[in-house]
Amino acid sequence: MTDFFLAWLTVLPGYVLPLLLASLGVVLSERAGVLNLCPEGFMAVGAMTGALICLAGQGPWLGVLGGTAAGLGLSAVFGLAVVVFRVEQTLAGLATVALGLGITGVLGRSHVQKPFDGVPRLSETSWGAELPRVLGQQTLMLPLALLLLLLVAWFLTRSAAGLRLRAVGEDPGAADVAGVDVQIVQLGAVLTSGAFGGLAGAYLSVASAHVWVEGMVAGRGWVVIALVIFARWRPLRCLAAALLFGGTEALMPRLQALGVDFPVYLGAMLPYVLTLAVLALTSTRRGARSGAPAALGLSYLRQDKH
Amino acid sequence: MHFPHPGPQEAPGRAPALLLRGIDKSFDGHRALDGAGFRLDWGEVHALVGENGAGKSTIMNVATAVYAADAGEVIVDGRDVPLRGPADAMAAGLGMVHQHFRLVGSFTVAENVALSLRGAGQKVSVAEAARLLAARAAELGFRIDPAARVDELSIAERQRAEILKVLLLGAGTLILDEPTAVLTADEAQALLTLVRQLARRGRAVVLITHKLREVAAYSDRITVMRQGRTVLDAAPAEGLAMDEVARLAVGEMPAAAPRIAARPGVPLLSIEGLSAHRGDGSRALDGLALELAEGEVLGIAGVGGNGQPELVDVLSGLRRPGGGTIRLGGADLLTASPAARRDAGLRVVPADRFDSAMAPGLSLAENLALTGVASGRFGGRWLVDRRKMRREAERLIADHEVRGGGPATPASLLSGGNAQKLLLAREVSDGARLLVAHSPSRGLDLRATRAVHGAIAEGVARGMACLLISEDLEEIMSLSTRVCVINNGRLSAPMPASEVTPERLGALLVGHA
Amino acid sequence: MLDGALLVRRQRVPLRLSAASYFGGLLFGLALAALILVQLGVPTAALWQEFVVQTFLTSQGLGQTVTAMIPLVLVGLGTALALRVQFWNIGIEGQLWLGAMAATWVSILDLGPEPLRLPLILALSMLAGALWIALPLALKLLWDVSEVISTLLLGSIAFFWVQHQLFGAWRDGKTGFPTSPTLDAAERLPLLGWGQVHAGLWLALAAVLLAAMVIGVTRLGFYARAVGANRRAARAAGLPVLMTVAVFVLGSGALCGLAGAVIVTGTEFRLSQSIGAGYLFSGIIIAYLARSNPLAVLVVSFLLGGLYTAGGVLKVFYGISEAMVLLVQGVVLLSVLCAQLFADYRVVARRPA
Repeated sequence: MTDFFLAWLTVLPGYVLPLLLASLGVVLSERAGVLNLCPEGFMAVGAMTGALICLAGQGPWLGVLGGTAAGLGLSAVFGLAVVVFRVEQTLAGLATVALGLGITGVLGRSHVQKPFDGVPRLSETSWGAELPRVLGQQTLMLPLALLLLLLVAWFLTRSAAGLRLRAVGEDPGAADVAGVDVQIVQLGAVLTSGAFGGLAGAYLSVASAHVWVEGMVAGRGWVVIALVIFARWRPLRCLAAALLFGGTEALMPRLQALGVDFPVYLGAMLPYVLTLAVLALTSTRRGARSGAPAALGLSYLRQDKH
Repeated sequence: MHFPHPGPQEAPGRAPALLLRGIDKSFDGHRALDGAGFRLDWGEVHALVGENGAGKSTIMNVATAVYAADAGEVIVDGRDVPLRGPADAMAAGLGMVHQHFRLVGSFTVAENVALSLRGAGQKVSVAEAARLLAARAAELGFRIDPAARVDELSIAERQRAEILKVLLLGAGTLILDEPTAVLTADEAQALLTLVRQLARRGRAVVLITHKLREVAAYSDRITVMRQGRTVLDAAPAEGLAMDEVARLAVGEMPAAAPRIAARPGVPLLSIEGLSAHRGDGSRALDGLALELAEGEVLGIAGVGGNGQPELVDVLSGLRRPGGGTIRLGGADLLTASPAARRDAGLRVVPADRFDSAMAPGLSLAENLALTGVASGRFGGRWLVDRRKMRREAERLIADHEVRGGGPATPASLLSGGNAQKLLLAREVSDGARLLVAHSPSRGLDLRATRAVHGAIAEGVARGMACLLISEDLEEIMSLSTRVCVINNGRLSAPMPASEVTPERLGALLVGHA
Repeated sequence: MLDGALLVRRQRVPLRLSAASYFGGLLFGLALAALILVQLGVPTAALWQEFVVQTFLTSQGLGQTVTAMIPLVLVGLGTALALRVQFWNIGIEGQLWLGAMAATWVSILDLGPEPLRLPLILALSMLAGALWIALPLALKLLWDVSEVISTLLLGSIAFFWVQHQLFGAWRDGKTGFPTSPTLDAAERLPLLGWGQVHAGLWLALAAVLLAAMVIGVTRLGFYARAVGANRRAARAAGLPVLMTVAVFVLGSGALCGLAGAVIVTGTEFRLSQSIGAGYLFSGIIIAYLARSNPLAVLVVSFLLGGLYTAGGVLKVFYGISEAMVLLVQGVVLLSVLCAQLFADYRVVARRPA
């Protein structure tokens, strides 16, 4: 039983961290009032770019950086559409995902299924060889992700810039007369969410799989959006939500390794069913406040009569 | 009519604190400001007076760079530097208390203050903001909890928070838009006295208000606006008769609408122990009870946020009540569907017509048919008869003198007054036994207000009952046969309209009687 | 930011301006897409040949385009119907998978007498699609759960279910590949004798006509207009809002389910993992570009069918991934969306100081 638990714990970060990173990005964007359906696209370009850089022999860390930058780049398109051109945010998000999946499919076509050296595990480093297996199997991405989590949590609740960002998401009109540049804040939040999404995608290819295949994000980006809803747009609760989904996902291969016989695809379906169930059970009509930013999805225009 | 500028308080040689000249501002088609001007000097309290929709708030929003004017110039303290947004206006020393408070609902009062102070370039933490806030509140005798969430405050508390927020900015020029609307008499006096002191010490203050008593008692000069134009330009308050100011603000004096005679008929509506909650769980209606007879108008006065919208929603069937009874002519309507309520003769004119009464994107004909299609008035069981819809719309538009569009025009293009006339044409039609009207003349000019009141009075003369819910005391007094006040979701005992005085009503409004 | 320009919302958008921004955005998007294709190695001269001549102007190409159009019409119409009552059906692929599975299930079990097999397949696929959207609908109406998320998640769940069947009970015993056994002749939609074009064309046209009629002249259509324009006002006016929303949303699911069955019985003749890919974005782009108008859905689907045909050709001759279709759709949709700004707002230069 302990062995089983340790084995599960060892693989857990690989399932949880991409979800966590991408959901932190969504939290930042949505707390600034921009409805963000893009993570599937951000993660796709992040995963592909990271892999391409590694395959070009530039090393895993440059791959991670490149993946992050790719997510940022795609989010610039989304940001331009929703912040500058005031496009309806649901449609703009879906179009951005189409763009991301299209780009990765077209550009990555000749790089499918080629393995490369990804981010080294701690046990493979000169100083980490003695670490116990649970830790030794991890990469430096684990502390990095946790650090980013704390940073985002601190930023939103404690910093002055976080106060401004939240004001924009709650009441852009009030933020505007308080001297906050609504569009700059929203653009900044969207770009950050793209960077987080790209990093999450790079995690999938560069830190986890060490190979790239088309469609490797496989709907995780959509799950992220649901996780943020039942995390009520709070960073620390995103960790809990990601643990729930990723933990269930990580359970399946472990159970199979134990020889428990159950259908593979029904097992893979389970985390999605669980997410839907939690979403339904924690919905607003049944509980207290949803925690959704009051101006989420709305476009603020100073010159409108108000 | 233009009075010369005497400027007794003007420091010699100093440029005016604020000078607006020839300001035009249109909201796509609707002209809100038409060559309007305003001049504010240092050291004065300057009252800005006018009807709803005269352009008072709009011109001050132009001054603080919320709106960009289509034409004209804004000169702050003699410097002709264009303000590109509210941040620039704050930096130039302008601070404005907005009529619709600019506070973030989910933030605490202190967080809101910190947000503003930081926007103005003062690096304060939330804790420091809370200290500054408490100190200034004590000075004014305002009760306020810096750590309270704004959306949990009453309207009066929010007003105090908004005022304190702007005072703490330390702006050289203060613009106060209806700052005393929901304050008690004592609080209003303390605020206006403070504002006067600030002016005496060299700042400049704009006071937008419709309370002529405040204008007479506290202002040095008066500017009056009407229909987007400045009709009285910075006249000294001393020696100016207030009924002259009122006449300028309104234009030609309207004939007083004939008072509806109290001749109650058969009892119609009976509400007992009605309770309801808001979306956030707070209690909106708390054992509300009332009786209403045919041919009667019961006016429900009250400061906004005391349960008025929830009462309207519960009556129209859009909000589920917590408990109680609603009986209309013997039928129990507490849980009835909106359709059953309409069949029973209940009609509603909500405060925001495009929220729950009309669809801005639908044509006038479709909006007029909205309530008739389901009962088969326009076509059979399966198909709709659009030709009949159009004919009916043409008739109603002509009969009710709705201007600005035909049957195919989208409702969003009508002016507020014409849209309201259209809605009344639909609601006060055959079979209407009870009309629930919430602020039916809000935001309308005098002519449209009279048309709307006329339509209600006509229905009442035919035996319809009306529940008139309004924050506008003039409206309540001009239409009601009985009057009561809503406070925290409860009604005061109704009194006959003949016994109502503004003083008595005022005392009830703030819950002091 | 953007202080050089002011945006002022227009109350009345002139038709000419609205059309100009729409087609301007469309042209800009198509030009951008063409540029991308040239960058990817398609000769400029080939663009005209592949995207216009070979897709619309030759009988064989036109046949392929029409064949590709059939399921697109159904999913586009499905998305449009739901959008008319302000319901975002982003689980199109899920309902499509359910419809395809229902068809396969009838075929594998040989349900019912042969002459009734095909009608049974079509009816059950619509039922399956409607049931798959009934859950998000109920969650939204009862508990206010965002349908954007619930339909997306159910799309993923449906795909896992398909894989479960294809790698399990339904795997084709003859080939061993994860596809279902091929359909019998009685289970296939008859070909119309023009390339691959099959009788599903009549189904799609009938669906368009029916939808146009319901929206245009029926009482239900009027209700939907009112619900879409202002749901609270529709409720306060006593209209049957829930019934209207339910009919349109379930109809949306049924059409997407039917699309799944039409793909299985009309062109593929078996269930495989790849038949549903890409329809999510296509449904949305069709519904948006067609402004939820059924007849316009037909036109946009036809043009998009051409893109699908060209995508197949480019893959074979230039080695460009089929994801190109997705990329072009994304570019064009974003371009049209952004161009909308010039119709919705007046862009005024800020007056110089």
